Amino acid sequence: MRTKDFAYWLFLAPVLIALTLVVVVPMLLGVYYSFTSWNGINTGEFVGFQNYIDLFKDERFLDSLWFTTKFSVISVILINFIGLSLALIVTSRIKSSSLLRTTFFMPNLIGGLILGFIWQFIFIKVFASVGEMVGMESLQGWLSTTETGFWGLVILMSWQMAGYIMVIYIAYLQGLPKELLEASEIDGASSFQRFRYIVFPLVAPAFTVSMFLTLSNTFKLYDQNLSLTGGGPYNSTEMVAMEIFKTAFMQNAFAYAQAKAVIFFVIVAIIALLQVYWNKRREVEM
Amino acid sequence: MAKLLMDQLTKTYDNKVTAVENFNLTVEDEEFIVFVGPSGCGKSTTLRMIAGLEDISSGTFSIDGKKMNEVQPKDRDIAMVFQNYALYPHMTVYENMAFSLKLKGMPKAEIKDRVRNAAEILGLMDYLNRKPKALSGGQRQRVALGRAIVRDAKLFLMDEPLSNLDSKLRVQMRTEISKLHQRLKTTTIYVTHDQTEAMTMATRIVIMKDGVIQQVGTPKEVYDQPDNVFVAGFIGSPAMNFFNGRIEGNYFVMGQTKLLIPDSALPEGLDNQEVIIGLRPEHITHKPVKDESTVEVNLDVVELMGSEYMVYATLEGHSFVGRVDANLDLAAGTVFPMAFEMDKARFFNPTTEKRIR
Ligand SMILES: Nc1ncnc2c1ncn2[C@@H]1O[C@H](COP(=O)(O)OP(=O)(O)O)[C@@H](O)[C@H]1O
Ligand SMILES: [Mg+2]
Repeated sequence: MRTKDFAYWLFLAPVLIALTLVVVVPMLLGVYYSFTSWNGINTGEFVGFQNYIDLFKDERFLDSLWFTTKFSVISVILINFIGLSLALIVTSRIKSSSLLRTTFFMPNLIGGLILGFIWQFIFIKVFASVGEMVGMESLQGWLSTTETGFWGLVILMSWQMAGYIMVIYIAYLQGLPKELLEASEIDGASSFQRFRYIVFPLVAPAFTVSMFLTLSNTFKLYDQNLSLTGGGPYNSTEMVAMEIFKTAFMQNAFAYAQAKAVIFFVIVAIIALLQVYWNKRREVEM
Repeated sequence: MAKLLMDQLTKTYDNKVTAVENFNLTVEDEEFIVFVGPSGCGKSTTLRMIAGLEDISSGTFSIDGKKMNEVQPKDRDIAMVFQNYALYPHMTVYENMAFSLKLKGMPKAEIKDRVRNAAEILGLMDYLNRKPKALSGGQRQRVALGRAIVRDAKLFLMDEPLSNLDSKLRVQMRTEISKLHQRLKTTTIYVTHDQTEAMTMATRIVIMKDGVIQQVGTPKEVYDQPDNVFVAGFIGSPAMNFFNGRIEGNYFVMGQTKLLIPDSALPEGLDNQEVIIGLRPEHITHKPVKDESTVEVNLDVVELMGSEYMVYATLEGHSFVGRVDANLDLAAGTVFPMAFEMDKARFFNPTTEKRIR
């Protein structure tokens, strides 16, 4: 028994040590720092909950939190909608489906920063030129307002992640037994009814995976935010990650930023756990 | 209620595999047709063309005189039972059965009536609120049948509906499906690779091999009057015994063995011809009086089946099975006189394997 215990811990040790060093310790240290007045150089003194009290009165932080939430909700819906639609297209019996699959997946292979700059060019230059040609005023001055900045980010994110989410839906769609679809066809279902009553409920488990991935990705977005709008105009498209970064490295309020990061972590964790819980429960019910 | 016409139906898949060739069949109203044949002979393909799940490469298929080639499955008014049930896993038994009616926009009360009626026939009343995964194989198959019954469709199609069940349940469901057909009288096409199912259930059997119909007939016809060696060997269990030899006068000769054929049973013009003769196990048996078609054989294996023995022996290099009444005392390794009832023999051409009448 003893040797078995020893072997057990021996094999577990590398992971445990690594996890402790890079996750647990920094996390605990971080939480500790959030109760101090650390400025990046001096640990400073213990200030209790002052940082936390301050951040709930910090409008810039609360704005960024609200902006991030709005952005996430809309992006998650759009990404999943587009991803599922793309998956349905490429799993239908069309000729060029493997070419399309690759194409749709491509944006994922491009880094977020570069993607941001590409879309910045599209939104500012291409949109403007097209707008001029067709005479649509609304295509002018993209990214220069909060509104267009917001939708710019949503479009960028959807474009990037939809292909990735598509792959997940494809896996589930291809796992659907062919006979079920045939049975529904014989039962008299039109293609829309087939989707509504058979395909959609049966790929529901994919929502759990996809929503978790999209939600955590959109909530923690930083690169694309930085390269597309840089948070502008007037910090109005600043998301939480960027806001925290700026608090720490521009204002040198490290402890304060740390407190925000802790709150951010708690929010993301709660959302992620809740939605996994809800989706799982729905799956079991089916 | 439907009369079907299949005229020169052919199916060639993209990969140039011809799965079904020149399939001709007329099905009368209320018939229970069974397609039977070894795996891969094109039974499912034919059925799927009838269902509309597979395009027809050439030929025509019509229901009640109306050409169906281009008609969508949902508009053909057919119901189908799949081998692995194909129940909707996220719906209850009730919802599974009600699904097609709901799609038709039938009033809720009528749906309820019909589903309950079907559930009663099939003994599913206690399971209406269960999901398919909480049912046994036999119950699932009943739900699949129920889904077909409630439709009140013109035509039932069943593709090996019993092959996922254990043998006892299979026999039971076989009778239930037969009873159901007697009750509902819906024209049915039933696919199986099991000749016993075909023999016991069909009004007419369609025997297929390599995508080609070998024979169409009632169970009795295909059993007694097989058109070729394949049908003769496929229908019946244990299978018919075949012996290669030649006809000399009134005798069937193989090696040292000569068997007398009664005049009435011998087709004309076979003298000095090579033939294959087929004899069913029940026609190789014991007779109290020996005659010119009795042969002493060494018994290889003797199986007591209760009322009779299955006797396995070899004659002139041909293994065969005979049936002998269990009143006698038989043992493997002994020599026993077997009577070949040559008046029951079927004659086949050894090259074409076609029946000689
Ligand atoms: N989708 C398909 N594509 C190509 N060949 C097929 C396809 N489905 C069936 N086949 C071929 O057609 C032949 C008949 O198949 P099938 O009708 O399923 O036989 P059965 O139901 O009698 O076992 C087989 O040789 C099979 O390999
Ligand atoms: Mg088959």
